Amino acid sequence: MTALYIVLPLALLVAAGAVGAFIWAVRSGQLDDTETPPRRILFDDD
Amino acid sequence: MTAVVAIACVHCGLPSPAGCDYCCAGCEIVHAAIAEHGLERFYGLRETATPARTSSASYAELDDPAFRRIHIDDVAGGGCHVALYLEELRCTACVWLVESTPRCLDGVNEVRVDLGRARADVWWDPAVTSLAAIAHHLDRIGHVVHPYRGADRERHRRREDRALLIKLGVAGAAMGNLMLLAIALYAGLFGGMAAADTLFFRWASMLVAVPALGFAATPMFRTALGSLRAGRLHLDLPLSIGILAGLAWGTANVIRGVGDIYFDSLSMLVFLLLVSRWVVLRHQRRASSAAEMLLALTPSRVRRIDASGVSDVPIEAIAIGDRLVVRAGETIPIDGTVALGTSAIDAGLLTGESRPVEVAPGDRVHAGTVNVAGPLEVIASAVGEQTRVGALVAKIAGLTTRRAAIERLVDQIAGRFVAVVTLGAVAVFAVWSPVSPALGAEHAMALLVVTCPCALALATPLAVSVALGRAARRGILIKGADALERLATPGTLYIDKTGTLTEGRLAIATWLGDVDARALAAAVEAGSAHPIARAFALDHAPVATEVREQLGHGIEGLVEGRRILVGSPSWIRERCILRSDAEAWISDVARRGETPIAIAIERTVVAVVGLADPVRSDARSALDQLARMGWRIEILSGDDTRVVTSVGAQLGLDPARCYGAMSPEKKLARVEATRARGPVVMVGDGVNDAAAIAAATCGIAVSGAAEIAIEAADVYLRSPSIGAIAATAAGATATLATIRRSLRFSLVYNLTTGTLAALGIIHPLLAAVLMPASSLTVLASSLRSRAFRSPQ
Repeated sequence: MTALYIVLPLALLVAAGAVGAFIWAVRSGQLDDTETPPRRILFDDD
Repeated sequence: MTAVVAIACVHCGLPSPAGCDYCCAGCEIVHAAIAEHGLERFYGLRETATPARTSSASYAELDDPAFRRIHIDDVAGGGCHVALYLEELRCTACVWLVESTPRCLDGVNEVRVDLGRARADVWWDPAVTSLAAIAHHLDRIGHVVHPYRGADRERHRRREDRALLIKLGVAGAAMGNLMLLAIALYAGLFGGMAAADTLFFRWASMLVAVPALGFAATPMFRTALGSLRAGRLHLDLPLSIGILAGLAWGTANVIRGVGDIYFDSLSMLVFLLLVSRWVVLRHQRRASSAAEMLLALTPSRVRRIDASGVSDVPIEAIAIGDRLVVRAGETIPIDGTVALGTSAIDAGLLTGESRPVEVAPGDRVHAGTVNVAGPLEVIASAVGEQTRVGALVAKIAGLTTRRAAIERLVDQIAGRFVAVVTLGAVAVFAVWSPVSPALGAEHAMALLVVTCPCALALATPLAVSVALGRAARRGILIKGADALERLATPGTLYIDKTGTLTEGRLAIATWLGDVDARALAAAVEAGSAHPIARAFALDHAPVATEVREQLGHGIEGLVEGRRILVGSPSWIRERCILRSDAEAWISDVARRGETPIAIAIERTVVAVVGLADPVRSDARSALDQLARMGWRIEILSGDDTRVVTSVGAQLGLDPARCYGAMSPEKKLARVEATRARGPVVMVGDGVNDAAAIAAATCGIAVSGAAEIAIEAADVYLRSPSIGAIAATAAGATATLATIRRSLRFSLVYNLTTGTLAALGIIHPLLAAVLMPASSLTVLASSLRSRAFRSPQ
């Protein structure tokens, strides 16, 4: 079970990275408007 | 007889008059604008079809240097940016149409729409096109344009929203990882696990839980501290006690190496609480920003007469004693005295009175009232906040901020809850410590942690967010969760007459005498802008010549070779012969509380018409429904008492409950007096109702209300039907019933786990199962709520 002592901290590091990415996304305003962008993908002509 | 085939309007699909492709002028303009730019794809994209609205505004004020300074910012690399608020922005097709502006108008670089906020960000090159031209284009495609005010408030809210979202993300990630660690630990309980591995997992859990939850739960801690300082109890207090006790006790147990840890349950608790807060916040934001952004363009430019002639100046430049010109159709910008000219003034803003008042030199006029008939010269006697409407607005602002916070149901329960749980924990410790003080502390801590009122805290936000979301879909915008609790107990409901119970315009109510004179009267009145003339309007009226209007008295003209007179009885009496039956008609109409208008052909009175403000068709059923729910309904109106009583009679109200001639100040006094005896709801639409709306336990502004009334109100009804008032009250009652049911569930759960913990037989695994189970019960109970469900 010694592998756990390396894998578990690694897994937590990856999770911390994901949280960091989420914080960056929120701070850069990507989640301010969650209503218009899903509609914008319907415009196929430009 | 040939059947009239109704043709569907090309733009909105509603039936159109025979021979027309469009149901109204708005649709025709908008369809032409869309076709001109080759944007017909709009019709394939849209989800709802409604008649188009355009305005005839020139938008010249958007190019004013003063406007530029406040609202427009320069973009690095050339060009300008402005945020605009667009009306009628509803679906994908609207987004597409508005964002296609750069293809229709040279010089527009980009347009981005935020559908939720009804906001459009426009980037353009001022050297090529003007903002007024862009606004005019947007107006022509069916979106009336306003400057986007409150950008500061918006920035502040966005900061708050982002902070909460980050905490939500951290709590969610912590929950996921802690659950995985907990599964390993639970598996170890049954299957056996090396002591060193168990220790490792417990330390890992602690290192994730303490920083993550300590950070994510700060909103709860902050409110709990605030409520302690204010000496009031808030549900966040027992929540914070539970979270902190759990974190502290878990940490202690990890360090000691023995005892239970509750990190997985705690993380789920924090995550669910943040989710519910986030959902409620979003609903409230949507309702309040929709209401705030209805701010109309107020007339900021006025025409002043000085030595050099008439000049356009900003309203701020006007001093007492200045002479101004107010043209017909314009809003009077100051309080003052008429110096020259005669006209009719629609003082509905201040009095709620549906009929215009005639004014002549020497009469006083007030800011905010509308000059409906002819040009006037007015000498200013009060400007800005010194005007009557200014004072009223200041008072409303004061009342709105001072609105007493009601003691919310869940906070009342929280108070008792804190007492019971704390006493319980002390008792458990006292009972167990003779056996072993360590065991006593353990069981007392377990009690604090497992009774942490998770479901209790979820019950209200879940029920409220379900209710707010459903209400918004039905056109009822509720600004806060409190408003629902304020509306749930029936009390006195004061309702304004003009514009709320009635349509707010004059229409023909009674026609005595020759009905064929209708077309002749319509012909004579066709060219006049007077509200009485508009009541006579008819689509295919003959053409009148030699029309002469005598303001405040009547109008005459030649139709098909006959001289037609339409006017007040006194004016007609001086010019025509009145038979005795005509005199009887006039007194008959006056007795009904309607305005009598006589019609004469060649000096003989042939008909007498009674004009009145028609009652909205759904008013009766809405009031009946409210009365059945236990509300005591009374009318408060600035209009003449006879008119109010007559409207009351049509709605089945006792004359003793119909109050006429109420000034805004009197309405306010009446609402304040009644509030001492119980809940008061004020429903209205005008500036004259706004103070009363702000003072009431709960204020409701109806569709088409003045912006100040919307700001003062807790609830804004976007649909024109006043049946929505009854729906709102019913929805509030149903929501509170749901909250009570959820609270009962969660209390039963807390009682069970609390008892188990006190007896020392609770296990973290049991807590980990019971906690989500209780939350899911509350969630299911909230979603099953009948509140604001559309009638099938």
